[in-house]
Amino acid sequence: MGSHSEPFEFHATLSHLDQGLETLHESVQRLRESIGRGQDDRNLMHFEIALAEIGANVLTHGRPAGTDSPVEYVLWLDQDTALASFIDRGAPVHEVLSRSMPGQSSEAGRGLPMARWLLDELVYQRDGEVNKWRLVKRL
Amino acid sequence: MSLEIQSRQADNGVTVVAPTGRLDVAGAPTLKDAISEALKNGQPRVVIDLEGVSFVDSTGLGSVISALKQIRSSAGDLRLAAPNQQVRVVLELTTLDRVFPYFATVEEALTGF
Repeated sequence: MGSHSEPFEFHATLSHLDQGLETLHESVQRLRESIGRGQDDRNLMHFEIALAEIGANVLTHGRPAGTDSPVEYVLWLDQDTALASFIDRGAPVHEVLSRSMPGQSSEAGRGLPMARWLLDELVYQRDGEVNKWRLVKRL
Repeated sequence: MSLEIQSRQADNGVTVVAPTGRLDVAGAPTLKDAISEALKNGQPRVVIDLEGVSFVDSTGLGSVISALKQIRSSAGDLRLAAPNQQVRVVLELTTLDRVFPYFATVEEALTGF
């Protein structure tokens, strides 16, 4: 599980889908409390939606079958900007920044377009054997 | 928090499916199972009571779209009730608010259904 001190910073190692998602939401709740924002704060809500989308993607595809590679997660605050990073050991991800929102009858494929739309910046980088994700949202 | 679901039948025969928790990639299969169960029991009119849903992600939304397809293929219909602000934001962002009529309360959803 994570910990934080002032200035806000939260670190966690995620190994399971359900528990990992729980940790992501808990980290945003700690950030929310740390900066005195309510549950209805729109920017923080948008950040949490995007974080959960990328987090679900990473926790689902970023841990290769048959391996025990956890996902490294960090959430921090830089002045009025929330930043998060994930590092996973999954296969390279393609077309992260170009996928468009699917049609209304589609049951999948909205996560990345939603995250891109909700964030100020979404960076994906393949670095050797790992995927690096960086999420930025001005609050 | 894992998704938990309670189902009941309203006086007018509509099935009310009430999930509690996060309707996300981890919880979506539970909703799909609950909808399949309702259809198995011959109830093609379904209200999903979202009051207890704290958060929805795109996969959770996909499970609602799947439910709509299943129900309409059985000549039925689906309504959503009592979504919180986060759920409404996701519905509007994906323009699915045009697909799903949603109501402020379960009682409103049941009226005339």
